[in-house]
Amino acid sequence: MPQLLDVVDLDKTLQEQTPQEILRFAIEQFGNIAISFSGAEDVVLIDMAHKIDPDIEVFCLDTGRLHPETYQFIEKVRDHYGLYIDVVNPDGESVRELVQEKGLYSFYKDNHQECCGVRKIAPLRSKLKTVDAWVTGQRKDQSPGTRAQIPVIQDDKVFARENDSLTKFNPLANWSSEQVWNYIRTNQVPYNELHDKGYVSIGCEPCTRPIGPGQHEREGRWWWEEATKKECGLHGNNIDK
Amino acid sequence: MKITLVKKILADGSPCGKCGDVLAKLESNNQMQHIDETLVADERDNQSPGMLIAAKHNVNRAPFFVVEESGQEAKIYTVYFKFVKEVLDQKTSEKEELKEIMNDNPDLDFI
Repeated sequence: MPQLLDVVDLDKTLQEQTPQEILRFAIEQFGNIAISFSGAEDVVLIDMAHKIDPDIEVFCLDTGRLHPETYQFIEKVRDHYGLYIDVVNPDGESVRELVQEKGLYSFYKDNHQECCGVRKIAPLRSKLKTVDAWVTGQRKDQSPGTRAQIPVIQDDKVFARENDSLTKFNPLANWSSEQVWNYIRTNQVPYNELHDKGYVSIGCEPCTRPIGPGQHEREGRWWWEEATKKECGLHGNNIDK
Repeated sequence: MKITLVKKILADGSPCGKCGDVLAKLESNNQMQHIDETLVADERDNQSPGMLIAAKHNVNRAPFFVVEESGQEAKIYTVYFKFVKEVLDQKTSEKEELKEIMNDNPDLDFI
């Protein structure tokens, strides 16, 4: 059944639904599904999913460069919800190779893509080979661009196993940061203490900084890089079927 | 097997840089011989062949490859290195593949 899902039609329907409704649909459709948890405000997904399925699988990409507060927060979430959290690490040999070749801070000289590729994307890809569907906390308002294309459900062609399909859900796609924080406060969801120190978007320690009032959250990440225009999307007026 | 490459023309009429990179890789690695057809997705024209095939297969980025085999559902590859590895059965550099994924999917910054 999951392979037959028409994600385009479903996306139109799910776009109108709440994150909780989207999560319920995802969990009911896919037995082998996991939530990607970054150790930041995407904890709301865990809170919502835990109310639907207390045994929901959660995984975390431990790049080896996270803040101590983030590691402590992951443990706090594990204890609070009584969840098994699969903490996924990068391949030691690949990290060693990168560091030997380019040092510990290559991203300040080049850009963050290579380091993220080794420390985050490779382990993510390995993890996603073990599931049929995954859930992220991605939101449209995280991108400063006006072309943010974050569907609620998508056929993930990048990380799908060979000759297989992988479905990706972004239940928070249409929520704003304010809605996420309203949920956290209303439901007394635990959160990363870095948020109280001015951090909005949280990633690796060397690549994350607090931001000031009025700054977009993207300015707290890779701030030394010029905001380059991404041009891989197809931006016709209407490319729907 | 039929392999179609779809490349893009941007809304301002300029060629897509990423498509140029992929074409250069195909040429330098002598892989163009495997491409049966090249279609253009012109962002100024939703009826251009590339835009139509993108809509048909629900693809929202370019370049991409459509691999068709009789009696089977078409397979779409939006990552050049994945296409090379799985369809052309050639070895690829994992480092390059990961970099391509990162460059083409800025939304992964927030995973």
